[in-house]
Amino acid sequence: MTRSRWLPLLLWLGALAVATAVMLSVRSDLDKAHVTLVLLLIVLGASAAGGRTAGVTIAVMSFLVFNWFFLPPYYTFVIANPLDWLVLVAFLVTGLVAAQLLYRAQEEARIARERAAEIDRLATLGAETLSVGSAEASLRAVTEVIRNATGAARCEVYLRDSARDAGPLVEWVIATSNAAAEQRDGTVHLHASRPTEAELRALEGGSVLSLLLPLHSRERVVGVLRVENPDGLRLDRPRWRFLDAISYYAALAVERIRLVADAERAEALRETNRLKDALLAAVSHDLRTPLTTIKALAHDLGVLGDERSEIIESEADRLNRTVADLLDLSSLNAGALPVKVELNALDDLLGALGQRTESTLGSDRLKISLPAEEQLLVGRFDLVHSLRILANLVENAAKYAPDTRVEVMASREGQELVISVLDHGPGVNPQDVGRIFDAFYRSDDRPPDVGGAGLGLSIARRLAEAQGGSLSYAPRDGGGSVFTLRLPAADISETTDELLMKS
Amino acid sequence: MRKCTILVVDDEPQIRRAVHHALEDDDTRVVEAANASDALTVAGAEQPELIILDLGLPDKPGIDVSRELRGWTDAPILVLSARQSDEEKVALLDAGADDYMTKPFSTVELQARVRALLRRTRTGTTNEPQVRSGALLIDLVARTAAVRGETVHLTPIEWELLRVLATQAGRTLTHRQLFSKVWSGRSSGDAQQYLRVHVAHLRRKIEDDPVRPQYIITEPGVGYRFVVQPDRE
Repeated sequence: MTRSRWLPLLLWLGALAVATAVMLSVRSDLDKAHVTLVLLLIVLGASAAGGRTAGVTIAVMSFLVFNWFFLPPYYTFVIANPLDWLVLVAFLVTGLVAAQLLYRAQEEARIARERAAEIDRLATLGAETLSVGSAEASLRAVTEVIRNATGAARCEVYLRDSARDAGPLVEWVIATSNAAAEQRDGTVHLHASRPTEAELRALEGGSVLSLLLPLHSRERVVGVLRVENPDGLRLDRPRWRFLDAISYYAALAVERIRLVADAERAEALRETNRLKDALLAAVSHDLRTPLTTIKALAHDLGVLGDERSEIIESEADRLNRTVADLLDLSSLNAGALPVKVELNALDDLLGALGQRTESTLGSDRLKISLPAEEQLLVGRFDLVHSLRILANLVENAAKYAPDTRVEVMASREGQELVISVLDHGPGVNPQDVGRIFDAFYRSDDRPPDVGGAGLGLSIARRLAEAQGGSLSYAPRDGGGSVFTLRLPAADISETTDELLMKS
Repeated sequence: MRKCTILVVDDEPQIRRAVHHALEDDDTRVVEAANASDALTVAGAEQPELIILDLGLPDKPGIDVSRELRGWTDAPILVLSARQSDEEKVALLDAGADDYMTKPFSTVELQARVRALLRRTRTGTTNEPQVRSGALLIDLVARTAAVRGETVHLTPIEWELLRVLATQAGRTLTHRQLFSKVWSGRSSGDAQQYLRVHVAHLRRKIEDDPVRPQYIITEPGVGYRFVVQPDRE
């Protein structure tokens, strides 16, 4: 650098000397204009080759040479003709301006070249990151481009989620979203956000061994870029700017890795769910078709007067409920049971409950009472799931407390609809209270009790929770059980009235 | 009087036999088809009064068969399905099916549903000036409803709900179908969610016991169905 700056100056000083010698030998034949033109050519040449310093130096030297050798009286700096002053000063100003203009043009050209190189590198980077198949490969491509562009020996990117083994400095960068530089003398410089002037000079000077930059995507640190050179990083300002800009692309590549991984997981999950759905559909078809035939045949037997037909039909129904429970449990476990929370009237739910349980318990055994008030009770819940919960509770009560009345009562408490199913049965054994909502597959000490509450209650509770409600048990005063379903209530009185007015 | 013809479409021979046996009597003839293409051929040849269609046919999705049949016949379609997806049922009903039953169904229920659907096509309820169901009398001309002779005061929306349901008795109307028929595009926004609230109000006015509805039956997750109860008075 130093040599290359002085060499053109010396060369052009030599050229000036030669030109002066030649012109001296023919001085008598030369006009002042000839001398001026030749010297100006030399000034321009020096400016072009050696930059501003060389240009200005040669301009001043030429000025002196012109005055000393070519303006009478010769060999003095005295000027006889005042008009020559004009020539001399014009020459000096022209030379200096030309040197300055040339310098500026060259500087602009140099910056343009650098910009072009940066754009080139970014374009390469973009092409590499987008065209490379896997996200990991594109990240490798990014680090390779950065390594080449910055002249570093190593370039690595640590992903946020897998940076545990990358050392405390990487973790610090992730935690604080600040940059860090490891110095040659073993100290570490931590930058609040950007390096200061002094630190930039340290980077240029090569006293920094490695630089760690946080990679941001959507205002979140997604990873850390680390460039390292055991002989010292030499990052001049354009390279630093480039590094700063390219870290954005590295962040995009990191983000792309994460998104691709997410998409692959989602795709795998979808495929699993699709298979599961297909399996469930096949299973439910294969189980329900024979049940349909069994029920039809049982009905025929009943028409012929066989009393056992009722038992066959109700057992077939029970089997069908178990199938439904198993299918629902499997959907719940897969997180694939759709929940449709909608505005529903309690009347509708309890009416559907009456319909559903008609065959098991007639109105003589099941008493469903609505609250006395005129106002409809409404809530936001899934009618189908809530109906299943209540039907399950009612059927359980009918089973465990045979020949007694089952009551369903409903009311509103604050922001909840409270629906209780009460029976006069034996109630739940105190030591079992904590376990009645467990699905049977979880208890090892108890044989699967399909006919009992084992499966149904666990599903019921999960269905209640899936729609923002709850299901609880309490012993009933005077013996029996109270199961309470709570669902989110809704207020529509005004809106309904408005609708009614309008209609 | 010509015998009534019912077409049963199911790929399971046992189901066909059971349905055949449950529905055949002196006035009713049952014809069978085991797949979708047979079903379309037989339906064209026999012109059945009612079609019972299984969804799980091997050669074509039930919803497509249902749509194709609807292209040229008004005969009620009762769908049988082993699956319990409400979305599927709604899609089927919206595609033109009249009612559905989930397997395993009871024979008594099947007979009742078939009777209800046939009654509608035979009598052409829409032309009748009155619909009677149990103690409920609906006068379509005077636009009044009465329970045991006592006139019930209904809001215009409640009346429309009752009229639409009663004139298509036996048919399960989805929430969407019911909404578009009653409101017929007059409403904007989220009025559809109040459909269930209006039905609850209506029930309180016409049902003896709103939690044991006799006339308007809830098909959970799907819609509502009007049932013509036998005359008990």
